[in-house]
Formats: sequence, C-alpha cells, structure tokens
Amino acid sequence: MSAAPPKPARNWPLLIGTLGFLVAMTWWSGHGIGFSLSELLCNLTGGQRLLRESWPPDFAFLPRLYGPFMETIYIAIIGTVVGGILAIPVAVLAARNLTLGKVVWFADRNFMNILRTLPDLFWAMMFAAAVGFGPVAGALALSVFTIAVISKLWSESLEAIDMGMPEAVRAVGGTWLQMIQFGAIPQGLQHYVSYALYAFELNVRASMVLGLVGAGGIGMILETQRANFEYERVTMIILAVLVAVLIIEQISESIRKRLA
Amino acid sequence: MNKNQGSIRFTDGNIVYPNGTVGMKDLNLEIRPGEFVVIVGSSGAGKSTLLRAINGLNRMSSGTVEVDGTIVPQKDGRELRLLRKRVGMIFQDFRLVKRLTVMSNVLIGRLAHVPGWRAMLNLWPVHDREVAMKALERVGITEKAWVKASQLSGGQQQRVGIARALAQEPAIILADEPVASLDPVTTHQIMKDLVRINRELGITTLVNLHFLDLARQYGQRIIGLRYGELVYDGSAANVTDEDFRDIYGRDFTEDDVLDEDAIG
Repeated sequence: MSAAPPKPARNWPLLIGTLGFLVAMTWWSGHGIGFSLSELLCNLTGGQRLLRESWPPDFAFLPRLYGPFMETIYIAIIGTVVGGILAIPVAVLAARNLTLGKVVWFADRNFMNILRTLPDLFWAMMFAAAVGFGPVAGALALSVFTIAVISKLWSESLEAIDMGMPEAVRAVGGTWLQMIQFGAIPQGLQHYVSYALYAFELNVRASMVLGLVGAGGIGMILETQRANFEYERVTMIILAVLVAVLIIEQISESIRKRLA
Repeated sequence: MNKNQGSIRFTDGNIVYPNGTVGMKDLNLEIRPGEFVVIVGSSGAGKSTLLRAINGLNRMSSGTVEVDGTIVPQKDGRELRLLRKRVGMIFQDFRLVKRLTVMSNVLIGRLAHVPGWRAMLNLWPVHDREVAMKALERVGITEKAWVKASQLSGGQQQRVGIARALAQEPAIILADEPVASLDPVTTHQIMKDLVRINRELGITTLVNLHFLDLARQYGQRIIGLRYGELVYDGSAANVTDEDFRDIYGRDFTEDDVLDEDAIG
C-alpha cells in the first residue's frame, strides 16, 4: 500500500488577500452610503418603539383581511395563467435548438431581456396608469412578470432536451409547430409545470408589493394601515401573509415532488 | 399496397459535413421498389448518412437523390414534408414520447396525413385511428395500445417505432441501426418483423446493420460502404468473408457478429 500524499499546504496569501478584499469592499461601500455604527445605535430606540407598538397583532382585524387577501390570490392566479400561456411561445423561440432562424431568436431573446430587466413594480405603475389603479393593473403586471420568469427558465431547459424525438417528428413529414408540440414540449412539460408553480409562489408574494403602488390586493390594505400608524394591524397582515405563503409553498412543493 | 412505388436513385451523390468529414462520396446507386437492402460498414462509413439523405434529414453537397423519380428537395418546406410522408424511419433509440400511450406515439406517423388543427387538438379521424391500430396489429402489440410507452421493454418499444413508420403507409422504410440497443433474441424478432413486413406489404426497406451475420441472414441485397464510398453491392447469398474484409478494411472479430459461432 502506498503512503497517502502529504496534505497540500493552505494557500495563506490567497486566503488573507480575499478576506482583506472583502473587508475593504464592505468598508468602502458603507462609507459611500454614510453608514455609521454610532448613529445606528443612537437611533435604535426609535426602532424599539416601533416594535413595541407592533405587538400584539390585532386579531380583531383578521376578518377584514379576507376580501383583500382573496383579491391577491385572484391577481396571482390570473397573472400566472395568462403569463404562463404567453411564456410558451416566448420560451420556445428563445431556445436555440427549436427557434425559427437567427433573426427571430435574437429578437425574442432581447424581448425577454427587456421584460426581465424592468421590475414588477415598474409594470404595475405602467398598467395602473394605463387601466387605472386596482387589481386589473396588478394582474396585468404579474402576467408580464410571469412571462419573464417562466420563459427565461424554461427556454434553458428546452435547450437541454434530446433532439431525437423532434427529428423523428420531422422525419414523418411534420411541420415546425408539430415538431414543437409532439417532439419538444412533452420532454419539457415537467419543468414547465414546476416553473409555473414557482411563478405562482412569486406572484403571491409580489402582489403584496404591488398593492403599495395601488395595484390592488392585500398590499393596498397594508399600505393604508402603515400610513395610519396602525402597526398592530400591520403585524397582523404580515403574519397572515406569512402563513398563506408558507401553505402555498408547501402545496406547490408537494405537487412538484410528485412530478419529479 | 405500394406495388410499384419506393424506388430510390442516387446520382453522383456527395455529402461533406461542415467539419470536413466525408459522409458520401460519388455515390451512384439504384434501389428497386420492394427490395430489402442491408447496408453494412464500420462506424463512420456513411451508413446513416445514406439513409438520412433519402428523407432529407441530411442535405446533399452535390449530386441528387430521387425517390420515385422525384428529386428529394434540399430545403425545408411543403415539398419535403410531402416526400417524408411517404418515407418511414426507424431509429436505434426508438424515439418515442415515453409519457404518452403507444397509440398516441403511433398516431404521430399520421401527422402529415391529417389537417393540422385535428392533430393539434388530438381529434384524430376514425380512419387514421384505424390505420394506427392496424399498424399495431401488424407488429403484434395491439394489447399494448393504451399503455404508456415508458412501460414497454426495448423490443416492444422498437415495435412501436415500426408501427409508427407503418402508420405513415409508406413506400419506403429506413431503419437506422434498429437492433443496436436490443438483446440477441429480440434482435432476431425485430429483424424477422422487418423482413415479414417487406414481403407482405412490398415496402422498400433499407436497414443499417453493423453485425455481419445478421446482414447475411436477413439481407436480400447487401451494400457495403467504406469512408462514404460504395465498395460492395451484391446479393446476400453470395457475399463471402473476403467481401466483408474488403468492406471493413480489416479482419473481423466477435464484435462484428451477434452470434459468436458465426465467425468462419
């Protein structure tokens, strides 16, 4: 039996260098935004007051959350379904192995990038300006957001499929659309469902934020209560959303597990 | 069914791949309707290239390939689809949609026969369902029609592959290494199926094989390729070990035969 090779020495200069770099970056950034530890400690009392006023949660307020909460769920469902359907062609055309030529691929890729670059809040404000404040604007914003999420993830899994089946469809005289429908999509279906569920989770959370800019749902009532300094109600809302999000995540995860 | 259809003719065919590999070199070849042709050669000799040129999956660099007197179109479009409709293909890796039923897989062979919207909505006409069922009957697995493809054995999956090709009601069947992923017993069953279908329906059949004993046993006519060139063309009854050595450019070993006793 040969002796094990000696343990290689640790690369100390690299380790110290990396650590030093991280510290320097952090200090530099903190300085840049005017962060000061002493000031933070002095102002902590304000935070303490806020925390005290936020407790206990106002359970009497819970029944009034039902309506806005359901609105949030409706917004998330519509956003996921509409966006999920529209994401299919966007993803297929963005997959290098399936697309219809370089020009279409390039245009679609850039379209996807634009959708992804602009945050959901921006879309909510745009649609609020276009169709008025309320849940419709929220649903439209989340549709766009869903297209961005699903098309990006799914186009990548479509690029990894086995091209044997699509070729077999072409070999029987199938059209491009048939090649996609019968050769490619069955292979990507599991991923698609999984990404759609993930998008739904994101949408439930996002529809909270969207309410802040007047796009309906539970976020709207959160913003009103915050503006009125009703912190015990705010805590109640946050708790309710936390529980809802946890439940939705559990359900969606168990569905995804069953798919795998 | 397809009595006087299914002729193939290569005229000065050349295929050079973008990386410079020669897949076909100055090929002149004529195949008559209803022939059962086995194509042999070591890997990279251009067997697949030849088959895939016939249904336009590989494009000719120069020269032409004709099916029933019509030149195989060299660009995608309606004409190429119409040609492919009449040419069935069977693959080494079966190429089935595993999550779908056997019936759905066989119906894919009808795609070019029905209006696009019907296929899209899965509203297959009764006639096409019957054709698909008959194709399953022909390979003896009707009882598996509603089973998911993923639940079948390799031999059964290849039978579904054959049924899909038959559902096209083709004039030609191209089988690209159809038994390379199967065990010896199943291999003989599939080869016998292919021969039987060729006899019963008169469908011109081209089979790529790398096992020499199988080529000799099942081929009517054997075509040998080496570096993309036609180096042998004769009847399977007369082919000698010497001929095989010429095709392979070396002595052959037990890797070249399915049944080791076949080495002379």
